[in-house]
Amino acid sequence: MITDIEVFYQPEGRLRMTMGDRSYVEVKPAWAAPLSQTGKYLVLLDGKDREIILITDPTKELKPETWSLLQNELQRRYLSVKIDKILNTKTIFGSTYWTVMTERGERDFVTQSLQENAQWLGPEHLLVIDVDGNRFELPDINALDEESKNHLFMTV
Amino acid sequence: MSQIEAQAEPDSASVLACLEADLTEEGRYGHRKVELTEQDVRVFDSAGTVLLTLPLTDIADARNEPLVSGGRLIVDTKSGEEITVCSYSLRHSTEFSDMARAIEHLAKEGEFLGQPPRAKIRCEKCNELLPEKDGVCPRCLNRGRTMLRIGKFLKPYKKQAILLALGSSFATLINMIPPAIQGRILDNFNLGDKNTQFLFTMVGAWAFTLAIAAVMQIVNGRMNTYLGSHIASDLRKETYAAIERLHLAYFDRKPVGAIASRVTQDTDRVWFFLVDGVPFFLVHGLMLIAVTVILFKINWLLALAILTPIPLVALISMWAWKPISNLFFRVSQKMARVHMHLNESLMGIRVVKAFAKEDDEYNKFQIRSEELRQAHTRADRTWYTAYGMMTFCVAMGTAVHWTVGGWMLYTGKLTFGNFYIIHAYLGMVYGPLQWFAQVNNWFSRAMAGAERIFEILDMTPEPQAGSGKVIEVKGDVSFDGVRFGYDKSNPVINGVSFDVKAGEMIGLVGHSGAGKSTTINLVSRFYEPDLGRILIDGIDYRDLDLHSYRQQIGIVLQDPFLFHGTIAENISYGKPGATMEEIMVAAKAANAHNFIVAKVDGYDTVVGERGARLSGGEKQRISIARAILHNPRILILDEATSSVDVETEKEIQEAIQRLVSGRTTFAIAHRLSTLRKADRLIVMERGKIVEQGTHEELMNQKGVFHDLVQTQSAVNEIIGIGSK
Repeated sequence: MITDIEVFYQPEGRLRMTMGDRSYVEVKPAWAAPLSQTGKYLVLLDGKDREIILITDPTKELKPETWSLLQNELQRRYLSVKIDKILNTKTIFGSTYWTVMTERGERDFVTQSLQENAQWLGPEHLLVIDVDGNRFELPDINALDEESKNHLFMTV
Repeated sequence: MSQIEAQAEPDSASVLACLEADLTEEGRYGHRKVELTEQDVRVFDSAGTVLLTLPLTDIADARNEPLVSGGRLIVDTKSGEEITVCSYSLRHSTEFSDMARAIEHLAKEGEFLGQPPRAKIRCEKCNELLPEKDGVCPRCLNRGRTMLRIGKFLKPYKKQAILLALGSSFATLINMIPPAIQGRILDNFNLGDKNTQFLFTMVGAWAFTLAIAAVMQIVNGRMNTYLGSHIASDLRKETYAAIERLHLAYFDRKPVGAIASRVTQDTDRVWFFLVDGVPFFLVHGLMLIAVTVILFKINWLLALAILTPIPLVALISMWAWKPISNLFFRVSQKMARVHMHLNESLMGIRVVKAFAKEDDEYNKFQIRSEELRQAHTRADRTWYTAYGMMTFCVAMGTAVHWTVGGWMLYTGKLTFGNFYIIHAYLGMVYGPLQWFAQVNNWFSRAMAGAERIFEILDMTPEPQAGSGKVIEVKGDVSFDGVRFGYDKSNPVINGVSFDVKAGEMIGLVGHSGAGKSTTINLVSRFYEPDLGRILIDGIDYRDLDLHSYRQQIGIVLQDPFLFHGTIAENISYGKPGATMEEIMVAAKAANAHNFIVAKVDGYDTVVGERGARLSGGEKQRISIARAILHNPRILILDEATSSVDVETEKEIQEAIQRLVSGRTTFAIAHRLSTLRKADRLIVMERGKIVEQGTHEELMNQKGVFHDLVQTQSAVNEIIGIGSK
């Protein structure tokens, strides 16, 4: 357990940190491998994007209140989403239109060149990138319902 | 929320700019409206309730903070608070970057920069998302107009196209004659007429028809090939020329493979449709009509009976085609993955062997191969099911003919000859019918391909020759408040200003990502500033003829690119028609002559794809010789000596000294000591200039450059110790 890390917002909106006798006026949490090692390897960066510390397992190594604050900041920084359900897909002239249910609510988006923009990160793990560069993750396609699987199968 | 007061109703200050964000404060998808007025910045929720009001007088600065898959608009208040105005996905980040600038400018200068451009993201007609902002909606695309535009590629070959259409129609009609002749022969025999003269006359006519059909097939085939090859070539040439003239920013966004596929696959789809799809549809459509007319003429009742399964065949065909084409698309994707793995592992075979990873690579290949097998099996299974059903329906047509037609034959309501003719024509109708649904698929693919081609043809190209002033560049270069970002929401050069006199050598220094390479990209006019100006001899370079300007720029890159060809061809790339003497003078000045002549084929040595048959140092010296022969007024050296050994570096440095003499030079070098000879160094950090001066001045200043040199010296020392 790392006990000497304290994080707090000061002024409002700016995350600061003290670690032992050192103080950092700007801190950014970032996942080192957000797709393959979800929830592990958290890096805390300073204002110049230099690593302050690497935390292998933040849930175990950080104090609950520190972890809670960092989670809040991570939630704000990572706007990529996980798809829970594929409601509809249709392909017109090489553009695929998706309507999906995500943890952030319902969303429609368009993808092109699925060969490049649907990336298999593992046998069942898919990352779909839309025309604007937004990332939609399907961590386990086997966990999807049948309708979603059918849409996915006919699309990707 | 000390500075923020939630209000029920906004006051009546006039709205200057307004944008919509797509994330709520909790990070869920939703609507937020951000308004910039003369007095404040306001955020509204979807119900129109004001969530936030920030008086402009309290705002110190505003910025777009890029996040993963989105961004947030942040305002720093004068009291030191950092306030998140709203968050948004990448769909809106560029607009909000402009909004941040507008807010900051209005708060600081009291001047409104103008409404940030709001890109059209949905089709106005069907409200569907647009694949590209401000682009065309594929759903509402006018296929007819696209068809007409595709048809224009036929214009130069109008005569041949008409002849082909007529020839194909004629061949269709000719092919309908033999069954009629055979029917007449059978009828004649059935009537008890044993006149062999009639038989031979009919057979003669049949043979003549066959001969004409064969001639037509040859003529049509040749015409088809002529048209196909010419249209394909025209399409490819036009697409390639358009791609070449596009701004470099386009190439940053699109992978090379995707661009190449427009020149190959998309053009293929269009000409395939024009040359195979359209004639198929015309010929078989014509045949279907002609056969139907004949069948009804022979016996309307029988015709009606045997054509009953046709709608069924058409339905199955339409129902099955979409999933089948999806499944085969999947097969092609899996095949591409197998190819990609094969290419990668074979090209990297040395690495694979060096790490003893043969088994791992084999396992990966096996998985991909298995995926391909599964995709193939599923596609083929579905295909054979649909095909079997269609074959059954076709057979049903024949069965109906034998049942109804047979009964009519037995009862004397149909002659044997007519029974035979109908039987022969049935194959002509049902055969192509199975493929009619495919025409729709061809059509869709061709339209998609055509749209992608037209998208490129319609893009604004770089200014072409003759579109600006042609000047003989002296070499004065000035940056005047230049701001630029590859992604406009995230500037990598921010407010950069400096002046360089003709003939000066400038060293650009800074950590990676400081903006050095972007600066030289801007000097080369691969990109143009988003804000500010770049002046060449006092003239905004956007007013200069791009072609003529680029001809006066020379570039030596870290990883020099050589084209597949001989050494001499590569050296003379910038000056086609250069004499052998000129080439050799340039090679000597570049310290390349000696290693070139030591090769078996000397200057005729073929360098291989991307110069693969030469070492890094050799390629670099050839690229310097190329720049020397090109004789540019402005020279750019981008890490020109970073990838070679010390001995070669010495030779390259000598060559570079000869090259830079008398030219305005911008140099980036990893080893800071190599910039000692620069007249001036510009030190950059995070897109801004932080120091300027000579090597000595900057060392005495003990600032950023001094620290960089110290760090590098320490590293060199460590390497030195390590090597002892």
